[in-house]
Amino acid sequence: MTSVAPSRPRISTAATAVADPYVDPFDDAFLGDYSPLTKPKSPFSIAARGVLRRRKPKLAYAAVVVVGVFSIVVAQLMLSIGLSNGAYEISSLQTEQKEIDRSNSALSEQLDGLSAPQSLAASAEALGMVANVHPAYLRLSDGAVLGTPTTASSASGSLTNGQPSLVPNALTAAAASAAAAAGAAPAAATGTPATTAGTPVGAPSAPPAAAAAGAVPWQGQLPAPTTH
Amino acid sequence: MSSSRTTRNRVAVSIVVIVALVAVLVVRLVDIQVVQASDLNAQSYDKLSVGQSIYGPRGDIVDANGAVLATTVIRYNVTASPKDVADYTPTDPTTGADLPDVTPTEASAKIAAITGQTADQVYALLTADRTSSYAMIVKDLDLDKYRAVVALAIPWLYYETSPQRVYPNGSVAGNIVGFMGNDASGALTGTGGLEEKENQCLAGSDGLQTYEKGADGVAIPNTTVLDKEPVDGSTVVTTIDSDLSYYSQQVLAQQVTATGAEWGSVVVTEVKTGKLLTVAQYPTPDPNNLDATPAKYWGAIAFSSPFEPGSTFKAESAATIIDAGKGTPSTGTIVPQRYKTPGGAVITDDESHGADPMTLTGIIETSSNVGISLLSSMLTDQQRYEYMKKFHLGETSEVNFPGESEGTIRTPAEWDEQTLWNTAFGQGLTTTAVQVASMYQTLGNGGVRMPVSLVAGCKSADGTMTETPSTQGEQVVSQTAAQETVNMMQSVVSGGYAASLLKIPGYNVAAKTGTAEVSNGEGAYGGGYLTSVAGLAPAENPQYVVSVNLMKPVTITNGSAAAPVFQKIMSQVLQKYRVAPSTVPAVEYPTSY
Repeated sequence: MTSVAPSRPRISTAATAVADPYVDPFDDAFLGDYSPLTKPKSPFSIAARGVLRRRKPKLAYAAVVVVGVFSIVVAQLMLSIGLSNGAYEISSLQTEQKEIDRSNSALSEQLDGLSAPQSLAASAEALGMVANVHPAYLRLSDGAVLGTPTTASSASGSLTNGQPSLVPNALTAAAASAAAAAGAAPAAATGTPATTAGTPVGAPSAPPAAAAAGAVPWQGQLPAPTTH
Repeated sequence: MSSSRTTRNRVAVSIVVIVALVAVLVVRLVDIQVVQASDLNAQSYDKLSVGQSIYGPRGDIVDANGAVLATTVIRYNVTASPKDVADYTPTDPTTGADLPDVTPTEASAKIAAITGQTADQVYALLTADRTSSYAMIVKDLDLDKYRAVVALAIPWLYYETSPQRVYPNGSVAGNIVGFMGNDASGALTGTGGLEEKENQCLAGSDGLQTYEKGADGVAIPNTTVLDKEPVDGSTVVTTIDSDLSYYSQQVLAQQVTATGAEWGSVVVTEVKTGKLLTVAQYPTPDPNNLDATPAKYWGAIAFSSPFEPGSTFKAESAATIIDAGKGTPSTGTIVPQRYKTPGGAVITDDESHGADPMTLTGIIETSSNVGISLLSSMLTDQQRYEYMKKFHLGETSEVNFPGESEGTIRTPAEWDEQTLWNTAFGQGLTTTAVQVASMYQTLGNGGVRMPVSLVAGCKSADGTMTETPSTQGEQVVSQTAAQETVNMMQSVVSGGYAASLLKIPGYNVAAKTGTAEVSNGEGAYGGGYLTSVAGLAPAENPQYVVSVNLMKPVTITNGSAAAPVFQKIMSQVLQKYRVAPSTVPAVEYPTSY
């Protein structure tokens, strides 16, 4: 015979073999078990087992269902508690962020005021700094000194020459007077000396405490030039 | 038998009643859930939802190094609901325990201590109209004071935010930055300077979001909807150097005051790019407090107020003579002190001298009106006019500043005999200070005029720059003509009448003084001079132009009034921008032959 097993794959299962009237039990290719043919009553016994099971319902299934429903309810509850907790947290964080943003912009504003040229010039003069109008340059390529190095004179080196600033700034003026008015109280209350932050701008009579503190002691090794 | 019928009837009635009830409920259910559903949803949404505007701030104006010239800050208004004003019970913030009650009078005193008002003032505001639910207590508190008021935890106080425009650098470049005002509809908008010119770039727009709130006012999760995205205004990046502007304004203010001048202006330009580093003036408005300055100085004089430039214009005439091939720095002519033109006009030199043989360089050094007119007359009027047009005179600069003037150069056909000669030395035509600076920029840059720029661009929040100015230069005169003109002006610094005031140790400086008669507005001269100095340094490779103009100084009435200002500002520019001192000697062309 020419028939081969792959052409009829279904005959490999016994149950199908019984149901299929076209299976030739004498086919040489059939190498399966003949036993189902000899036990025709087996399907009825399976049905009987199913009936038995229905008659005896197990408590476990009911428990699974009840527990399942209950846990879904609990999960749902936890989820919504979590969500609303999150809502409160978001709300409080947003408030915090708003406050921080406000502080940030107030500080930027203060910084802009302090870095205005009028404030810088006044602070520099209060510190006794003078401008040197004789710049000199050291050219690195050949070590040549360009320009004539001259010491700045303390008498005439100052930008405003001791005159009041002729470039008015209503903001720094207001800030300076406000700081002067309010400066003493908080400094005394906290017991800390007024440092540059609290020093009113444009008050040459009261130089910042940082200047009075003198030179800052050097920390660590002194930098040594690398010579060859 | 009858009992069973009764039972059946009862059951039937019950069923009918139940069915009827159910039917009514079903109808009602459908009515609520389907028919009126959208209406009811909308009603409930209206009750729960809160609209909240999200502030989109106006952008900043910054200088070339990022220093903030104009910005927006938030201030806080404190308002009250007078009809609710009553005693209240504060709680201790740490323990939560009740503290003694506070009366409105005591509360007024607490508020007043923070805001700087008097307790009576605050109390009067609170009690002015006890039926009202709104009263403004104090406006524009800063953050610290606002927080202090909030910390009082007074239940009948309410707060508003109020954005304010501030100018941290005050009057530094205040003439350029401009100011805010109200437009026709009353809305706040830029009405002067860059605030006006760049309004579109700066303007932000507020956004809107809505959410549904719970009983305690906290947003119900997942209900926030952004209806409209807020748009932050973009940043205007200028070419201005605020430190240099401050220095220039300070020096200029000292000299304007010392010489009794009406006003003064200083323009500093970068030669290679045409960027305006400083456009200073005195008096300068402080945009934080405009009223301290007369309104006529609120704009930028350097753009808006043209004047007859006088002798600083001789540099232009000299460059055109050389460029047209009609002369060189050593071209000579006999220059009398007084010259009557063939057409009958009369030109004179300020300084008395005989009929001297002068070169073009000598004419520039001594600032001879007769000499420059004689040499300029070798060009046709049309040629000279075309050169003026090539220098962009008689038109506004590329900046297009609000209120910018074009200056006036009439066409040769409109020049009368006197004007025809006068234009050679900068009378009979008007220029703005910015145009003068641009002229010198052209000469310093090998004859290539760069577009004048004041705004480097409009920088949006994501960092992209738009509105960047053109960097396309135009060759106005040849490189030789430009450099030779600059070289000739070195003789002004070495031998001119203001030489000692103009020298900067270590640098070769090329400059030209000017003392122009000021028109009295009725077709005649009189009543003062515009004194000026315009110049470049270092002369061998010009990097910066400084142009100084003083209107009608009293104590000194020639270029010597402006010379110290030029010298100081140019020194500062060279020092600030680390320009290496000159290593070549100054060029010295012969001044006579």
